[in-house]
Amino acid sequence: MLDRAGNSMDICMLTWEYPPRIVGGIARHCEGLAKTLAKMGHTVHVITLDFPGAPQYEEVEGVKIHRTSVELGHPSFIAWVFIFNHFMEKKIAMISKEVKFDVIHIHDWLVALAGIATKHYLRLPLVLTLHSTEVGRTSGFSNPDSYLIDGVEWWATYESKRVIVTSNSMKREVEEHFHLPQSKIDVIPNAIDTSKYEVKVDREAVKRRYGIAPDERIVLFVGRLVPQKGVEYLIKATSKIVNSHPNARIVIVGDGWMKDHLWNLTISSEHKHKISFLGFLSDSELVELTLSSDVLVVPSVYEPFGIVALEGMAAGVPIVASNIGGLAEIIEHDKTGVLVYAGDPNSIAWGVNRILSDSKYASWLVENAKRKVREVYSWDAVARRTAEVYEKSYGGA
Amino acid sequence: MYRGGSMPISDEIYFLCMLHNIGMTAPEKSLTIEEISRWTAVEPAKAEESLNRLLKAKYVDVRIVSGVKRYFITADGIRKVLSMYS
Repeated sequence: MLDRAGNSMDICMLTWEYPPRIVGGIARHCEGLAKTLAKMGHTVHVITLDFPGAPQYEEVEGVKIHRTSVELGHPSFIAWVFIFNHFMEKKIAMISKEVKFDVIHIHDWLVALAGIATKHYLRLPLVLTLHSTEVGRTSGFSNPDSYLIDGVEWWATYESKRVIVTSNSMKREVEEHFHLPQSKIDVIPNAIDTSKYEVKVDREAVKRRYGIAPDERIVLFVGRLVPQKGVEYLIKATSKIVNSHPNARIVIVGDGWMKDHLWNLTISSEHKHKISFLGFLSDSELVELTLSSDVLVVPSVYEPFGIVALEGMAAGVPIVASNIGGLAEIIEHDKTGVLVYAGDPNSIAWGVNRILSDSKYASWLVENAKRKVREVYSWDAVARRTAEVYEKSYGGA
Repeated sequence: MYRGGSMPISDEIYFLCMLHNIGMTAPEKSLTIEEISRWTAVEPAKAEESLNRLLKAKYVDVRIVSGVKRYFITADGIRKVLSMYS
């Protein structure tokens, strides 16, 4: 589908992460969106940062991916962000000699400076997707970096013609925190490619690969190991889960600056031998492990959307998730998953035990969840709505 | 340094973050201990101690060029740093 006038748009999408540079959900979101927009007939240029082994330029499924090398450095993260934005601007300036862009789409504060400069230089409408906010990620500010990041986020919302958020809870947060007019915000959820879960896996072989016994039941966590993801509450729930289900194993996938703390918490726990840390896994490894799991737990204490819940739902794994933010919008309690209190190990254990104890209930949740993912969270629908936001932004830069 | 809640980021991760920000993100961008020390203002002995721990955790790798050790961050190390701000 093209725009309402039947025209193809030239889209300049800026993101600091794009596969194989995968940190959180932004990389997968941008990849899914860019590929679908390209499939619809638009020309999508993704401007991102380099990553070991990835080429400076490549075209994947119609998406033109430009990777920027950062030629200067500074020990400060903020200084580094400002520097890489400069090199992104330079890259866009070079591309724009040959491509006449119609719209710039930036994802989060990290690329806001390059996006804002490009907006003014090329006189183009700017669209911002705010995947989360600094005030939410850090549960309140504790250092000068956070104040600056918060300021950049506000500035980006001010400079943007349209602001996209992925859930109604995020819309409320953005309205209240940045005093943004409601009329400037569009709520478009994340989406997922369900086809990648339509594969057969040998569950025993997958378990063997990670040292998990064939009769063990996998209680999976996938995400960055940072405070907002609430992994510590799952670790603290382990005793109550294992006491009810001795063959349960908590499997933690991902990495992050909090890993050492979580590891120390694990080795001081009674059931340390029932918790496995697998680190970062590739996409294909993660799909196989998810398909081999019995429960997926999303114990976040802050979650504007929670794409990992969609991945579990698409894979046919019953979900236990915190009753907060976007998770509470994706999951209908007792219908497409089990919602539990955020930051409460007892509640998490209750939810996991409920699923592990009743296979009929678990299957019912899975069927409902799969149906909902197919009907609501398809990339075709999300890309079509995003293209409509691009059109709305044409009203003058 | 803090990034959310009351839990401080460890010195080691903060050091890894600095290595990332000064651009040691590929073998061809590797630096010696002396160079790292100058860039980060961390004493060479302390820098070497931290590098050895990061090597063990596979967040940093090393190559030998003309008999001199040169360090760079691995893909896992890059992800570890980026997780702080994403």
